[in-house]
Amino acid sequence: MSLLQTTDLVKQFGGLTAVDGVSLSIERGTVQAIIGPNGAGKTTFINCVSGLLDPTSGSVQFNGDDITGQDPHEIVQQGISKSFQTASIFPRMSVAENVQIAAFGAEHGSFRFNFLKRRESYDAVQETTERMLRSVDLWDDRNIQAQNLPYGDKRRLEIAIALASEPELLFMDEPTAGMSPEETRQTVDLIENLQEELGLTIVLVEHDMEVIFRVSDKIAVLHRGSIIANAAPEEIRGDEQVQEAYLGGAEI
Amino acid sequence: MSTEAEEGGTVGGIDISDSVLIAGNAVALFLLPWVLIDVFGMVGEVIDIAVGGYSGLPSLIIIYGIVVIGYNLLLGYTGMLSFGHAAFFGTGAYVAGVVSGTTGSPLVMILAGTVVATLIAWPIGWISIRRTGVYFAVITLTFGQMLYFWALGPGAWLTNGDDGFSSVQTGQLLGTFELGAPVVGGIEFLSVYTWEYLMIATLAIVALWTANRILNSPYGLIFEALGQNQQRVSFVGLDVSRYKLMAFIISAVFAGAGGALFIIHESYIHPNTAYYWIQSGDFVIMTVLGGAGSLVGPVFGAFIFEYVANVISGVSLPVIGSIGSLWRIVLGGVFVVIIWAFPKGIYPGMRDAVIWIVDRVRNRGGEQG
Ligand SMILES: Nc1ncnc2c1ncn2[C@@H]1O[C@H](COP(=O)(O)OP(=O)(O)O)[C@@H](O)[C@H]1O
Ligand SMILES: [Mg+2]
Repeated sequence: MSLLQTTDLVKQFGGLTAVDGVSLSIERGTVQAIIGPNGAGKTTFINCVSGLLDPTSGSVQFNGDDITGQDPHEIVQQGISKSFQTASIFPRMSVAENVQIAAFGAEHGSFRFNFLKRRESYDAVQETTERMLRSVDLWDDRNIQAQNLPYGDKRRLEIAIALASEPELLFMDEPTAGMSPEETRQTVDLIENLQEELGLTIVLVEHDMEVIFRVSDKIAVLHRGSIIANAAPEEIRGDEQVQEAYLGGAEI
Repeated sequence: MSTEAEEGGTVGGIDISDSVLIAGNAVALFLLPWVLIDVFGMVGEVIDIAVGGYSGLPSLIIIYGIVVIGYNLLLGYTGMLSFGHAAFFGTGAYVAGVVSGTTGSPLVMILAGTVVATLIAWPIGWISIRRTGVYFAVITLTFGQMLYFWALGPGAWLTNGDDGFSSVQTGQLLGTFELGAPVVGGIEFLSVYTWEYLMIATLAIVALWTANRILNSPYGLIFEALGQNQQRVSFVGLDVSRYKLMAFIISAVFAGAGGALFIIHESYIHPNTAYYWIQSGDFVIMTVLGGAGSLVGPVFGAFIFEYVANVISGVSLPVIGSIGSLWRIVLGGVFVVIIWAFPKGIYPGMRDAVIWIVDRVRNRGGEQG
């Protein structure tokens, strides 16, 4: 059974069909890339799965359960987390607190928080916070106010927040956009680590083809809301329809 | 705001224990009547303008202080601007008043008022938090006004309507101590420290301690996060509505307790002070004036507000004459000046100023050395 399965997922905005019957199944422990030109519907697809948008029709199955139309927090609690395309952080909280809150979110449900108990005394939360901040190399910046981080660091903080939710499936919407080549390299390393060490399943939307071909197990090509190909990187490289629709014949 | 969330918990990286927080506030609460009545009174004699406080004023300030400590958990952290917290203040007051007819025990009155205020906050909050921003503010305002008109009309059998509720029969504290009597009798200097003041000040310390604990618990972090990026809160797996409702209800607990203390203190309440929307607005003004988002800031706001309302209003100036009901104009002026000088409110502003001065002095010391 696949970890995530969408069936005929459709999202319309008024007359515009942004996601047009997407059926995609994602296997546990793989990195699934979604590529496609701007406006192809990649972000909308992610939003329909993660609960930010309600799909117009179709269904989403996660671990065999129907999660279509659930609220974002319910979907996160089931093990799907996402890093936003634009860093969505808590600007006036410290870097550590940004991650801490996600770590508390991950604990949610396993016990009730105590109003009168200091948050420093939740050891599992502190431990997760430190581990995630170290994995994105922001541990030394933990006391800085998040809004004062440089843009690339904000994106990495965004990833750390998504990771601290301890997901099984992680959506990453253009994680390297706005990063320097060095930061991009680190992020790619991070993605590979996450998959290999934690067995995390990752859905990656990305424009950087070098990144895509390096980390992906499978690449889906989205064109005007529909998937026109979904195959291993070598096959995508050779697919003429893809070349035409998206890659514009460019060498890759 | 993160530094302020740890207010009283950490200063300059040093962890201050609860006992220090409590002791510090106890000293402040002990000094309040002395400063307000004696020190200001002496100043008044020197400048020949009556700027000294009267003996009931410290209690009134602390009662409103308790209300806004709670209100600030909502406004200052989650950023939700309620214009209807008089609903809980007034309910706390009326319930305590009505209960006093059966049992005059002040503690039972406070407990009853707080519990009922909390209970009505549940449905009011549940409905109000479904909307944000202006809509949230207007919905809460509407609930407050509904109770106002209820108290004037259909609820008059309980509230005594427009004549106000005056059949308050507050008994002795713990069945032993007369609230109006000084704790230590026979010493002129200590006569303002009545059992009532002791009770109110003790509850204020409990309120501060509780608020501080909440802010340092996971809830404090979540409340603060709600004020900065609600979407992100839901995307870390937390139910936004649940935590907003919780913040709302917690703030109502403080307002209800404050209302109950108010009627014990004043032995009278009218729908205008209980439920009218201006009362709700006054909580907002106190909180913003003193410093929304800092633990003790709003108490300073309550101090300034009540001082202007009760002392400055009685001042008579040459040329202008008696200030009287013009005190709201004075308050408006004070508000504008303070917020212009200290956009975050008087307490965070003063604290930043002190830090700035200390830094300057240290740096100068460094240059010389
Ligand atoms: N909230 C919205 N309301 C209306 N149209 C939208 C909305 N979000 C996205 N769209 C439209 O849907 C299409 C797909 O957008 P998007 O999913 O952001 O594409 P991508 O992420 O692949 O660049 C675009 O034409 C975009 O303008
Ligand atoms: Mg996009």
